Amino acid sequence: MNSVLSQLQPPAPHLGLDQEEDEFTSSDPSAWGSMGGFGNLARNGGVQGMSIPRVNDPTAFLDLHTDNMSSNPEAKIKIAHGTTTLAFRFQGGIIVAVDSRATAGSYIASGTVKKVIEINKFLLGTMAGGAADCQYWETYLGMQCRLYELRNKERISVAAASKILSNIVYQYKGMGLSMGTMVCGWDKTGPCIFYVDDDGQRLKGDLFSVGSGSTFAYGVLDQGYRWDLTDEEAQELGRRSIVAAGHRDAYSGNTSNVFHVRENGWEFIGNYDVNELWYEYEVKKKAAREAAAPAASPMAVEA
Amino acid sequence: MECSFGITGKDYVLIAADTSAGRSIVRMKSDENKIKTLGPHLAMAYGGEPGDTNNFAEYIERNLRLYHIRNHFPLLPPSASAWIRRTLAESIRSRKPYAVNLLLGGYDTTTDLPHLYWIDYLGTKAIVPYAAHGMGVYVSLSTMDKWWYEGMDKREGIEVLKKCVDEVEKRLTVALKFNCILIDKNGIHKIDLSEQDPIAKVEASPEETAVEAPNPPIEVGA
Amino acid sequence: MARRYDSRTTIFSPEGRLFQVEYAMEAISHAGTVLAVLSKEGIAMAAEKKVTGKLLDLSLAPGGSGMGGEGTEAWMGGGGEKIFLLNNNILAGLAGITSDANSLVNFARNSAQKHLFSYDEDIPVEMLVQRLCDMKQGYTQFGGLRPFGVALLYMGWDPLYGFQLYQSDPSGNYSGWKATCIGSNHSSAASLLKQDYKEDLTLEEAKSLCLKVMSKTMDSTKLSSEKLEFATMTLHPESKQPLAKIFRTSELDELLQKLELGGTPDEAIGAGEGSGSAVGNVAMST
Repeated sequence: MNSVLSQLQPPAPHLGLDQEEDEFTSSDPSAWGSMGGFGNLARNGGVQGMSIPRVNDPTAFLDLHTDNMSSNPEAKIKIAHGTTTLAFRFQGGIIVAVDSRATAGSYIASGTVKKVIEINKFLLGTMAGGAADCQYWETYLGMQCRLYELRNKERISVAAASKILSNIVYQYKGMGLSMGTMVCGWDKTGPCIFYVDDDGQRLKGDLFSVGSGSTFAYGVLDQGYRWDLTDEEAQELGRRSIVAAGHRDAYSGNTSNVFHVRENGWEFIGNYDVNELWYEYEVKKKAAREAAAPAASPMAVEA
Repeated sequence: MECSFGITGKDYVLIAADTSAGRSIVRMKSDENKIKTLGPHLAMAYGGEPGDTNNFAEYIERNLRLYHIRNHFPLLPPSASAWIRRTLAESIRSRKPYAVNLLLGGYDTTTDLPHLYWIDYLGTKAIVPYAAHGMGVYVSLSTMDKWWYEGMDKREGIEVLKKCVDEVEKRLTVALKFNCILIDKNGIHKIDLSEQDPIAKVEASPEETAVEAPNPPIEVGA
Repeated sequence: MARRYDSRTTIFSPEGRLFQVEYAMEAISHAGTVLAVLSKEGIAMAAEKKVTGKLLDLSLAPGGSGMGGEGTEAWMGGGGEKIFLLNNNILAGLAGITSDANSLVNFARNSAQKHLFSYDEDIPVEMLVQRLCDMKQGYTQFGGLRPFGVALLYMGWDPLYGFQLYQSDPSGNYSGWKATCIGSNHSSAASLLKQDYKEDLTLEEAKSLCLKVMSKTMDSTKLSSEKLEFATMTLHPESKQPLAKIFRTSELDELLQKLELGGTPDEAIGAGEGSGSAVGNVAMST
C-alpha cells in the first residue's frame, strides 16, 4: 500500500472487536457495493479512526488525566493551547490570519508553527487548541475531500467539508479532543467560513476569531471590519488584528501568516514578525497624531 | 446565556428563540437560527450544550421526515412530542446523554388546535399554554402569567411576546436578539418582532413570510 | 411436475406462481365468512362461526359466557373465534387457520401497544395493517417457512382518515374497501354487496346490509347468535373517540329478530345441532 496513505490511514478503533483490516482488504460488502469507497465511514456515519483508551468509560478516564476539560487542571497530560487565529469574509474573498506561537504552559515551545493547514487548493483550515488534533483531523479531512472529488467529479462545498469535520469531532466529544478551527474556502456559493470546535459546534459566519488571543483580535477586527474593504485594507486588518492579540496575549505572538482566498483558490500573502510590526504601528500611530496636531506646540504654555 | 419563549393563542402558536452562539465568554455569532421546522405545522426551539443541540435537532428533524415519507402523513403534535420526549428519556439513560432543552410548538390540523410542549433534557414533558427556557424564565414567566389569557388573537399574542422580549432586554445583563415564528393552520410564518404590527405582513403576504418546512411527499392518486 | 415447486414457499413455479401462497388462500375460502360494510357513521362486521354445537364449552373461552360488550369490554372478544379487538380503535375479523390467526392477533396487539408506547396515540389503522402485512409478506419469501393461512378484515377509526375498512390476504397484499368479504362464498357475497351497497349509508343500514348478505351467503336460512359474531366500530356520541362494540348473544338475536332474519330465543341457545361440518379439521380452520 501507498506509504503516505498508510500513514494517514487511522489505526483501527478499539471499540469492541479489534478490526485490523483496512478499507481495501475488508470483507465488508459495503466496501464494494453502493457504499463502495466509503470504507472509512462506518455505516452509522462515523469514522473508524483514532484509538481511544481501552477502559470502561474513556470519557471519564480522559477527563481525569488531561487538563482540557478544566475539571482537573492538575492533570498529568497537559494539552498545548494558546493561539490567535482569525478569518473573515469580505467583498474580495476571505482573509485568514494566524500567529505562529506554540506554548506548553509558560514555555514558548516554538515560534514558527504553521497554524493554517492547506487542506487543498480551495480549502484552508486554521488551528487552535491541540496542534496534533488539528493537524491530524484536518489532514484526514483533506483526504476525505479528495476522495469526494474523485467520486463526485466536483469539488466539495465548504459546508460539506466542515460537516465531515464536525461529525468526527462530535463522535469524540468529551474524550479530550481540543480543537477550534475555521474551515475557509471558495465553492459554488462563493466565499464561505465555518467555525467548528471540539464541542461539536459548527457555525456559519462572516467573521470569526478563535484562541486565547481571540478577544484582543476581535477588538481590532470588529472595529475595522466592513464588507467593502479593499484587498489591501482587508489583508492589513487581518495582520493588524493578529499583532494586537500578539501584543496582549502571552500565549500568542512571534510571527503572523496571512492568506487570501479568492475564486481561483487561496494565496499565501506573507509571514510578518509581530514584534516588528507592533513597533512599526507605534511609530505610524505617533506620526499620524503629530500630523493631525497643529505644527506649533500642542499645548499653549503660558509665559 | 440562552433564552426561548413559546405562547399559544386561539388558533396559533408563537415560538421565539435568541440568536446568539458562542464559546465561553465570546459571542461568535449573533444571527444563529435556533428554531427548527420539523413539519408543515411543527417546529421547535432548542438550546443547551453546544454540539448536542444541533446534532439532536437534526436527528429529530430527519426522523420526523422519515415518518412523514413512510406514512404519507406527518406525526401530529401530541404524538411527535411523545416521541421526542421518549428519545430524550432514552438518551439520559445512555452513556452519552444529549443535554438539550426544547420548546415544541405545533398546530393539529385534525382538531384545529394549537399545541405547546415544554421539554427538558431529563425527558420531562409538560403541556403548557405558554413557556420559557433558559435565563428568560426568571424575568418573563411572571410577565406571561400576568398578560396571557386564553383564546388570545394573534396580535394580542405578539404583544405578550414583545413584553417578554422587552423584559429580557431590560433585566438580563446580556443583550439578546430574537428570532420568531408563528404556526397556524396555514403553516409556519416568519415574524419580525421589530415591526409595529408583524401580523399585518403575514396576513398580507402569507407566501412571503412562509418558512421552509419539510415538503409533504407527493400525494398518491391526488 | 407442480410438486417440485410446492414444498418451498420461496420458489416460483415455471409459470411464475407461488403455490404455497395460493394454497393458503384456498384454505381461507373454506373458512367461515366474514363481511363488513363501511358507512359515514361507522362500520359493521358480521362473521360466521363454524365451530358450534351444544357440546362445545365456551365458558372458559375469552369473554366466557358473557361474551362481547362495548369499549373495554370488547377486549373480551366475541367468543374467541372470529372477531377480535386489536386496539381501542381497531377491530378485526379473521378467516383461516385459527392458530395462525391467534398468533397474528397477538402480533397486532403488540404492534399497537408499541406504537402507543412511542407516540402516545392509538396506532393509525393503515399502519397496523401494514405492520401485519409486512410480516405476512416476509413469510412468503424467507427461509422455508409456511405463509400465514389467514385473511383479515380490519375496521377502525383514526383522526387522520376517519372510519376505514381494509382487507389483507396471506400474500401480504392489502386494500381498502367500502364493503368487502372474505372466507367461503366470498365472491357471491361480494357481488351481493356490490348490488345492494349505496353511498351515504347510515350505520343501521350498514348493519342490516351486513346481516342480509350474510343470511344469503350462509348455508342455513335462519341466522342466530349461535352461528354468528357481530361487531361495530363507531364514535362515542360525547367523547367522539372510537368505540368498538362486539355484540352479546342477546343483543345480536334482538337485532336479527328486528331485521326478521332469525334470532334464536334465549332458552333455545345451544340447543341446536350445530353445523360443525363433516370435515375432520373443523377446530383447525374457521
